[in-house]
Amino acid sequence: MTEAILNDTIKAEAIKAGAIKEMTDYIAKELVRRPGVEVTPETPLVSSGLIDSFALVEIFVKLEKLTNRRIPAAKIQPKDMDSVALMFATAERIGKPRQ
Amino acid sequence: MVESGGSGAVNLLSLSYFVFVPLVWVLTRLIRPVKGRQLLWLAASYFFYATWSLKFLCVLLVSSLVNYALGIYLRRSPSAGRLWVGIGFNVCLLAVFKYLPVWSAHLGPGHLPALLEHVILPVGVSFWTFEALSYLFDVYREEDLDPSLTEFCLYLAFWPTVLSGPVCRLPELLPQFRNAKPVWDDIAEGTRRIVLGLFMKTVLSQILGAGLRPGEGVDFGFNQIARGWTGLDVWILAIGFAFQMYFDFAGYSNIVIGTAQLFGIRLRENFRDPFLSTSPAEFWTRWHMSLSSWIRDYVFMPLATWKPQVWWRHASLVIAMMLFGFWHGADWTYIVWGVLQGMLLVGHRQFQQLERRTNLQLPVLVATYAGWAVTFSCMLLSWVVFRANDLSQAGAMFHALVNFSSYRHFVLPRNFVWMTIVISASYFVVAGLRKLAENSKQVPILARLGWALSPVLYSAAMLAIVIMSIHKAVFVYLQF
Repeated sequence: MTEAILNDTIKAEAIKAGAIKEMTDYIAKELVRRPGVEVTPETPLVSSGLIDSFALVEIFVKLEKLTNRRIPAAKIQPKDMDSVALMFATAERIGKPRQ
Repeated sequence: MVESGGSGAVNLLSLSYFVFVPLVWVLTRLIRPVKGRQLLWLAASYFFYATWSLKFLCVLLVSSLVNYALGIYLRRSPSAGRLWVGIGFNVCLLAVFKYLPVWSAHLGPGHLPALLEHVILPVGVSFWTFEALSYLFDVYREEDLDPSLTEFCLYLAFWPTVLSGPVCRLPELLPQFRNAKPVWDDIAEGTRRIVLGLFMKTVLSQILGAGLRPGEGVDFGFNQIARGWTGLDVWILAIGFAFQMYFDFAGYSNIVIGTAQLFGIRLRENFRDPFLSTSPAEFWTRWHMSLSSWIRDYVFMPLATWKPQVWWRHASLVIAMMLFGFWHGADWTYIVWGVLQGMLLVGHRQFQQLERRTNLQLPVLVATYAGWAVTFSCMLLSWVVFRANDLSQAGAMFHALVNFSSYRHFVLPRNFVWMTIVISASYFVVAGLRKLAENSKQVPILARLGWALSPVLYSAAMLAIVIMSIHKAVFVYLQF
């Protein structure tokens, strides 16, 4: 029983790590597109001006897909989406699992 | 309908303001308890606003009390329904005091227009209503906010910002209202910002707006409908108005931010070299930043994420920017200007998509300068719509722009043309020098040169301010 829970936790963490990597790559390749700029899960995106508000919406839509959660947009602020790590934490905090 | 401040109104360019601020500053130093200090600032803010009109103060007081109560109501259960009650109240407030009286003027004679004719337009109502709305949104988002009634009233009425912003947010101001302690650097920087702001407003904006002699200046140029314009005139007027607006509102913002800093309060910045932007999206992160970020956070983001389709994101951009234009007033020129800005942003987004699809990689220098030239030109043309007295005038000016045979001469006075060129070119020279100075902080000789030159520059600025202050100057953004 305990082993099964542990396995589920490990599996969930691996899925989350994969999702974070996919989001980081997507932002670096599709949205930032600046040579020499490295994007990590901790890179400030909005406050540093690396992405604009339109890109933020694209990230939001992708975040909902990757986490399979419905995130109430009116409840989030750009500062909650300032880095990949923060946006996944926000999705976990206020997102509701899709049916 | 519009009631302006009487002769006793304390405005940011009056001598009384420069008596009022030091007096409040000295009293602040004498009062140690935080609560006492907040009450002093609130009393000073209400006195400041009441010098414009007691009626204005009554509207502000009602708005403060109702929004505070709405905040408590929303905090108990942060539901969308309760948020809509708050939005509804503030939209109604704006409609009654700002928009309905203007629309009623078009209705012709009747009972309602006659009634609305007597409605006052409280100065700054658009600014502090948006501050109240941001508070309600933040409570709905379950931000950790617990202002007392005094703190909330102070947030809406804070005298440096009550007339024309910057549009503040409570999460930024609340900790400062509780812990502000100005240090020497704040006082030095605050004073520098005030002198710079006065110079931008009373010298540069004033010269561009009214000209050096009667019959010159942007205002005269836009009103010379009978004589018409050539294509060259329209470009010069667009440049002149863009820089007049910039020096006016950025100058005002400098005075406000500097004043608050004297008290240890750091307000959000409102302008950051907007005319150096290399894309429309970048421009809107540098021009009237406090309002554009408000529109982004509370209008565009919730709207754009409502539906996942790309077309809806584009539509949301246009709607958000149309609202931005409408915020300035119930006039078609502002609405069309907002729609144009939205379309520019969508166009920029399409170009970015094209770059992605075709993997187009322009050399950095080419991309930067071409981006700057296109952005600057588009912004100039959109300002023509914003400033025109009506859409038919804007149409006539655009007609002159595409009539290439008109590009042979100026109708505008030569003096004004040269002055506009010199002032706008100087902006870019100064911006370039500032960047150079920032990069050369490590060079001791250049750093010392800055210290040596500062007193000379500030003395010259003060002299120009004193000479120019004989003209009656009014901030353009006070009308919004």
